[in-house]
Amino acid sequence: MSTVVHYLNQFFAGFGGEEAADHEPVRLDGPQGPGRGLAAAGLTVDVTLACGDDFFGEHEEDALSTLLGWIEEFEADVLVCGPSFGSGRYGYACGVLAREVGRRGIPVVAAMTPDSPGVLAAEGAAHIVPTGSNVAGMREALPVIASIASRLAAGEAVGGPDDEGYLPRGLRVNALVDRTGAERAIDLLLAKLAGDVATEVAPSGDRVPPPPPVDDLASARLALVTEAGCVPQGNPDRLPTRHANVWLRYDVADADGLAPGDYESVHAGFDTTAANADPNRLVPLDAVRELERAHIVGVVHDVFYTTSGVDTPVATAARHGQEIAAELREAQVGAVILTGT
Amino acid sequence: MESTLADLEIATFAVDEVVEGTQTGWSDGRLTLALPQLAVGAGDPALAEATVEVVRPGDSVRISNVLDVALPSARIGEALPSARIGEALPSARAGEVRLHRLAGVAVLTLCDWAGAGYDGAEELPDSLVDMAGPGADRSPWGVTTNIVVRCVPSPGVEVAEADRAVRGAATSVATTIAEATAGATPDDVRSVGPLPPADASLPAVAVILQVASEGPLVDTFLDGEPLGEFAPRVLDERRLYEGRLTNGAYDWPGVRNVTAAYQDLSLLRELRAAHGERSRYAGLILAPGYLDGADQKRRAAEASAELAQSLVADGVVCTTFSSGNSHTDTMLTVQACERRGIGTVALVCETNGGLTDHVPEADCLVSTGNEDELVDAWIPERVVGGDDRARVGERVPAVHYLGGLAETGDARWTAVPA
Repeated sequence: MSTVVHYLNQFFAGFGGEEAADHEPVRLDGPQGPGRGLAAAGLTVDVTLACGDDFFGEHEEDALSTLLGWIEEFEADVLVCGPSFGSGRYGYACGVLAREVGRRGIPVVAAMTPDSPGVLAAEGAAHIVPTGSNVAGMREALPVIASIASRLAAGEAVGGPDDEGYLPRGLRVNALVDRTGAERAIDLLLAKLAGDVATEVAPSGDRVPPPPPVDDLASARLALVTEAGCVPQGNPDRLPTRHANVWLRYDVADADGLAPGDYESVHAGFDTTAANADPNRLVPLDAVRELERAHIVGVVHDVFYTTSGVDTPVATAARHGQEIAAELREAQVGAVILTGT
Repeated sequence: MESTLADLEIATFAVDEVVEGTQTGWSDGRLTLALPQLAVGAGDPALAEATVEVVRPGDSVRISNVLDVALPSARIGEALPSARIGEALPSARAGEVRLHRLAGVAVLTLCDWAGAGYDGAEELPDSLVDMAGPGADRSPWGVTTNIVVRCVPSPGVEVAEADRAVRGAATSVATTIAEATAGATPDDVRSVGPLPPADASLPAVAVILQVASEGPLVDTFLDGEPLGEFAPRVLDERRLYEGRLTNGAYDWPGVRNVTAAYQDLSLLRELRAAHGERSRYAGLILAPGYLDGADQKRRAAEASAELAQSLVADGVVCTTFSSGNSHTDTMLTVQACERRGIGTVALVCETNGGLTDHVPEADCLVSTGNEDELVDAWIPERVVGGDDRARVGERVPAVHYLGGLAETGDARWTAVPA
């Protein structure tokens, strides 16, 4: 028997409108409000959790802590959030809760408008059923939510966004198909040569926009970061030459540059001969010291950061970036030169 | 070396049952294996140990430290000695050569390079085949009866020499068991000789097969020699059927071009089947991947495109070798071909972050799957190949399952939106 938990805001839980928006999180037995509609659509809600929209927005950490604690206590098999329709605050709360619950391995189904802030907040952790901007879309949304949530609660597979009627989560999951890649490739090519161009995968829109110019470079702390595998000679900390799952930092506070013989590249993805002849071409410490002396940059950060960017899974690389960025922020670094290979 | 195998035939013997016995032999679908003798045959001074065992689909077994897969295959001809996979062949006259190949059985080679103490080997990714459990369908070799050859290098042997011995052990076993079918009646015989001319109005399609050869443990071999640095070249595909292009690159297993894929490349099989019906087969181009510099990459891409043009190809299928860097080689090749008016489709694996590289001309891609997807944890009853790098009880990214995401088109996984 699976456990279904439903999250609502103060209005849909029956506590009131704006006057109740600062309502603390509460737990209620059985379905409330739209939860009864879910039951009619075949999904029986065991527990309803509710929170005022303002309370969630103003006390997000506390609200999340309480709600997540209850969801774990109930050993939920699936969480349903909303529908929140076009409500910004409610949608945001649904999205954040969905993200955190989804990250804990519990399936989540939410419903909201495609432009709701909750869609972004969920970060792909939930199946989000698109709705209209107001409750007029309730009748249409509930059966879809119930259908998806029932199967997720039972551990059953759910089809793709087009088939099931949820918003693409930005994920690409593996599927075993009848035909080999070779068969598919030839079919696609022959169709293309006949004028019908199609593809199984296109580049994602995950492009990093260029950051705005540094406001005041002459007073900024400038850090050097590289994926060129630049390490002290002999690689004392054993930075992997490929598939790196770590990044390292090295102190250069007292150095004017990286001397040949003191540093080297252990990167396995390019011919390192020229780079090792002058490691400053991997980590341009000599150049930024000149800029520092000329007061073009404020100060060069005391350490440089390094890893080997070859064969590293994107998820690992993203984690490296986030961890290094966190340190840079902590050190109040205002500008970074990132050298790639 | 030019092939002389004008009428090369492949005789296939479907294996219904594999049993152990005192003498390796074949009888009406039943393959008997004398495992100790096979192990002796696989021996080499560079190996301290070589063992052979059989693992079957459904066994609660995870195979770890898998290097390569070979299809049991032997060149049978009354007037000629047989030759091992990967070896150069003596000349043959037309009509003399038949390859005997077993179906449903594969030879897997295992070696724990890191455990043997080789410098840098710890960076080779864990390589798995599951015979049951949630990962059983993640490798094409989870559904074959596998003859597992596990090798341990002798202490102090140079890595290239040890690898030569490991590859030799596999080909010894693969050849020996296929030779057991000499004189038997095959289930199927197909000719892989020259194709007849086809309707000129059909589109001509070539294959650009990307391989990389970067040194010991990341090499690709032609006639037993590392390809090393090489320029794109047109290759007689019959050299692949004969097993003369072999794998010695033990990088990401999910996107590894194993020897078995070269021996029976799905793309060639399909293009031969389509020849005269939907398209015309234009030829095979062997192209380097994982090139170091931008200029090298551009030059190789242009050279591949030029060769495709010389084959008068209307379209090409571009394969990719492994993960990362090589995707740029693929994309540049696509770009070079398209700019010459040659239509392309490319096979690429995805990551959680999407495509590794892309050019605007790459408007027709086959996804061979998402290598970062996690496969559920599993605890098998037994691990063959060593526990150290078996990842028992862990969720494992799909890229660690051998050949499951092959960018040669030999697997059936793809990635879809969710």
